[in-house]
Amino acid sequence: MNPQLKGAEKLAGTYLFDLATSAKALRLNRFLHGFTTPANRELFKSDPEAAFAKAALSVEERRMVRDLDWAALIRYGASFFCLEKLGRVKGVSNPEMVAGFRGETLEEFLKTRRVPGAR
Amino acid sequence: MAKILGGIGTSHVPTIGGAYDRKKQNDPDWAPLFRGYEPVKVWLAERKPDILVFFYNDHASTFFFDHYPTFALGVSAEYPIADEGLGPRAIPPLKGHAGLARHMADALVNDEFDISVFQDLPIDHGVHSPLTMFWPPSPDWPGKIVPIEINVLQHPIPTPARCWKLGQAVRRAVLSYPEDLKVVIVGTGGLSHQMNGKRAGFNNEKWDRKFLDLIARDPKKLAAMRHADYIRLGGTEGAEEIMWLAMRGALSPRVKKIHQNYYLPMTTAMAVALFEEPGAKPASRKARASRKPSRNGARRARAST
Repeated sequence: MNPQLKGAEKLAGTYLFDLATSAKALRLNRFLHGFTTPANRELFKSDPEAAFAKAALSVEERRMVRDLDWAALIRYGASFFCLEKLGRVKGVSNPEMVAGFRGETLEEFLKTRRVPGAR
Repeated sequence: MAKILGGIGTSHVPTIGGAYDRKKQNDPDWAPLFRGYEPVKVWLAERKPDILVFFYNDHASTFFFDHYPTFALGVSAEYPIADEGLGPRAIPPLKGHAGLARHMADALVNDEFDISVFQDLPIDHGVHSPLTMFWPPSPDWPGKIVPIEINVLQHPIPTPARCWKLGQAVRRAVLSYPEDLKVVIVGTGGLSHQMNGKRAGFNNEKWDRKFLDLIARDPKKLAAMRHADYIRLGGTEGAEEIMWLAMRGALSPRVKKIHQNYYLPMTTAMAVALFEEPGAKPASRKARASRKPSRNGARRARAST
């Protein structure tokens, strides 16, 4: 294990994006990173199944993206910063995604924040 | 010869740029953030640096994990604004100082800092989210930048000690540039936040305030810490604070922190700190007088916890 990270694996509810995770989820993250290109966004918006097929996503990967299952996507190995692009394309804000990671509704999450209107 | 006037540490959350784009200056939810940047904006307008050297991270906007550079130096005269999923922000392309950047590439590599270089790649909110708060375009940018990208996304990421040393090497590189240029060093990212798992939304104001103290007073203590410490204290994305360490490493031991602001509205602690080198005195009495809001700003920031 990377000695710089020793101890961090004990933190509950925390995922470290390392080379093993990156390799496992490379295809999915490449698909999400692709949303930085307008043509990929257009294809996904007009025909998501065609976009999944083009990227050769697995059945499970397709389900997680289709359902915007944020907690499962992170657990699987999606990089938050690639998921952020999916959020923008689907009109989902970062606080909504964070609420998803925590297993909360947006309203529940906002109750824990100091300035819930700062979105 | 080129001269370093000071440094800026700042968060780079995309919502900072979003608040600027949506003109939220007078929105009570955002006004404390804008107020906190005002003294930095005034300081830059007075000192008129030619170049801001940015230590920042890309967010899988331009670089992807098929080849993710640990350190990458931009050497172009212009950088497009990155499309992060909504089309690029409506701000002009960033202007680069290719002369200084090429010199820095030579200097760093010959100093055994084998940095990779990039040309005209798009740059994301890691640079321009905070940039518009303190160096806004009107209509074009007031000066040029030199971007230095640091991997904080995919472990292994460079150690805090290595980022500190990168800052020191960048200082040597800048100060050895023969042209009379005024340079300010910027480090972006942090402070405490975590964007994954059930621990998402984690913040630690106590640690953030300690970090803001140590980065000025005892940065070597921060450089000696491990990533596991940063993650435990400031969340997985709190590791971005190593870019502040690179900035601080490029400043002299005599630098003074003259302003800071801290605002924690949502998921990320938004902080800014301004450092001034002893040689960077204001040009005139008028300029000195207009510095007062900066000190008041610092007091306000400390008081508003």
